[in-house]
Amino acid sequence: MAQLELFLQTIISGFLLGGLYGLIALGMALIMGVMRVINLAHGDFMMIAMYISYWLFTLLGIDPYLSVFIAAPALFLFGLVIQKYLMTPVMKVESILPHNQVIMTVGLAMVFSNLATVMFTGNYRSTPVSYASSAWYLTDYWKGSPIELSLSMPWTLSFIMAVLITIALWIFLMKTDMGKSIRATAQDLDAALLMGVNVDWVRMVTFGIGLVLVAAAGCVFLPIYYLYPALGKQFTNVGFVITVIGGMGSTHGAVIGGLILGLFESMTATYIGMGWAPAGRFGIFVAALVFLPGGIASILRKRRLEE
Amino acid sequence: MKRFGLVLSSLSFVLLLTCNVFAQDVLKLGIPLPLTGTNAKFGEIEKKAYEIAMEEINAKGGIKGKKVVLEFEDSQGKPEVSRSIVERLIDVKKQPVVFGEYSSSSSKAVAAVAEERKVPYLVVTGATDDITQQNYKYVFRMNPTNNYYTVGLMSFLKEIVKPKSIAILYESSDFGTSGAEDMVLQAKKYGMEVLVKEQYEKGAVDFKPILSKVKAAAPDVIYMVSYVMDAALLMRQIKELRIDAKLYAGGAAGFAIPEFIQNAKEASELVITATLWSPQVKYAGAGAFAEKYKKLHQDYPSYHGAEAYSALYIIKDVLDRAKSWSADDIRDAFRKTNMMTAFGPIKFEDKEGYTNQNFMDTLVMQVIKGKHATIWPQKYASEKYVYPIPRWRDRK
Repeated sequence: MAQLELFLQTIISGFLLGGLYGLIALGMALIMGVMRVINLAHGDFMMIAMYISYWLFTLLGIDPYLSVFIAAPALFLFGLVIQKYLMTPVMKVESILPHNQVIMTVGLAMVFSNLATVMFTGNYRSTPVSYASSAWYLTDYWKGSPIELSLSMPWTLSFIMAVLITIALWIFLMKTDMGKSIRATAQDLDAALLMGVNVDWVRMVTFGIGLVLVAAAGCVFLPIYYLYPALGKQFTNVGFVITVIGGMGSTHGAVIGGLILGLFESMTATYIGMGWAPAGRFGIFVAALVFLPGGIASILRKRRLEE
Repeated sequence: MKRFGLVLSSLSFVLLLTCNVFAQDVLKLGIPLPLTGTNAKFGEIEKKAYEIAMEEINAKGGIKGKKVVLEFEDSQGKPEVSRSIVERLIDVKKQPVVFGEYSSSSSKAVAAVAEERKVPYLVVTGATDDITQQNYKYVFRMNPTNNYYTVGLMSFLKEIVKPKSIAILYESSDFGTSGAEDMVLQAKKYGMEVLVKEQYEKGAVDFKPILSKVKAAAPDVIYMVSYVMDAALLMRQIKELRIDAKLYAGGAAGFAIPEFIQNAKEASELVITATLWSPQVKYAGAGAFAEKYKKLHQDYPSYHGAEAYSALYIIKDVLDRAKSWSADDIRDAFRKTNMMTAFGPIKFEDKEGYTNQNFMDTLVMQVIKGKHATIWPQKYASEKYVYPIPRWRDRK
């Protein structure tokens, strides 16, 4: 019985973690799909959103989950500006290296994390919300239950938020004109240009939306995690690994890839050892590159063709 | 080009300034510390403490009549950076003695450089055992090593809790690993069975998988060696999973500073931790330093602060006593040290496989009503310990 409990609890943890990972990767995959650029400052944008959320909580008492509605629009505007004044000009410069924009994102990442250290010191911060360690327990609802399972309240809230945001993004991409333009640009840049899509504007909006997604991820992570200036790197890594597993640039792939990575890390932690989780993460990263270069997206595409 | 000129002129201005300072009789001491990166928090505490000691010492006439000026160099918590900083201090600035650094990994790197260059180095906070187990002639350590962090804790376990089994969770760094290895040995010595021993990568988000494993094993004591935010997350998730052990114990570091309580909130209640020092401990000067620090920086310092503060006093004592400021005379002065500091008694001894190591009592603190209180050994206790502790579901 104890073993069953352990297994189920591990699945629950992995699933919740995976959903959040997916949300981080989603923005990265979107930006990658449209602009063919790996945004290596992704985690640092998340850090910025978390600081916004943190200060809103500390100074004004706004719940981190509600601060999504402030942090996300703020990062959207920030994204537009960065794309217009930093990324687009860099793209036009001729250089030996084809990926000047990637280098630009690395530079941005360093600037952001160092600026944050200067402005907010290296202190660790968190938002001690009242429900931080609340949970629902199986035995509270089913008295005779032979096993005890718990479902963390903030983790579940964060997971639900992540799902809602993912659905919202999907509707946006499928149903709106802008969404269609974004998909068109991702599928075939030249054709989109010929069809009269304003590609520069689409790129700006895409970058903005990518940041909205990661801002949302930051806001839902804050209640369950903590915050310090150098936090970005770790989540950029996670996003990058998932983007590769998912198939570069595929948003469906990112969501599934996130869930896979979350479950994989939890399973590794329980049955092999938590110290192995980072090694395992890069293990599947390399495996995905070698054995499944197109990522999960390629499997999805194949199934669609067979139907 | 214009900007370059500006940089040049401001540089020369800075140079001019430093030259001016140098013209007076000053002793400049460079200190490597992590002021950015993930250990910045502790670097910050130590920096503030060093500054307090510097002001006090200068107010009383400095070291051998020289005014002390401390220069903090950011090592970013990276051993290779600390190494190059210290190489520069020794080779270029000809500093007669080196001290500082925070983490074990960085202290170890600095110790190797100091020994190679034959310049005395005082380890202030690095706790892995092997730093003073390598027969280094020029490396001295004021803080007890990991193996001794838990002396106080073990006596509390033995006399009050009498546990039969233990689970050990630790971060996969030098500090975490050596703390855990030591606990395994101690557990064997006291006849406790180690049911779970798991390491994790610092900064992990979700501990529930390994905690579920701990829950399934149902140990009497859960012992954790973590830095501050991991410590808070661990306790929060232990509360969330309702893992009922007889005792939750931390091995100093993250569990011993006020941020732990601020971040873990009610999940931190009744958690005990080994510690080297607390603001209420009855050493001469300890309380005064703690109050002064609190007045300046709003919070009580952690033991790292007390160590840094006392380190500068040790350096003063050694430099005052040394016949000359040659490396060997300073080393001889170090070996004859026998003084009381705010951090406790300091005396460098060779025993039990250690060289130039300070041995001292360690304390146990417990979070009682949202505050750290010293509970063990009883002669230093500021409050009576709370044991047994209630189950999670019975708590409010």
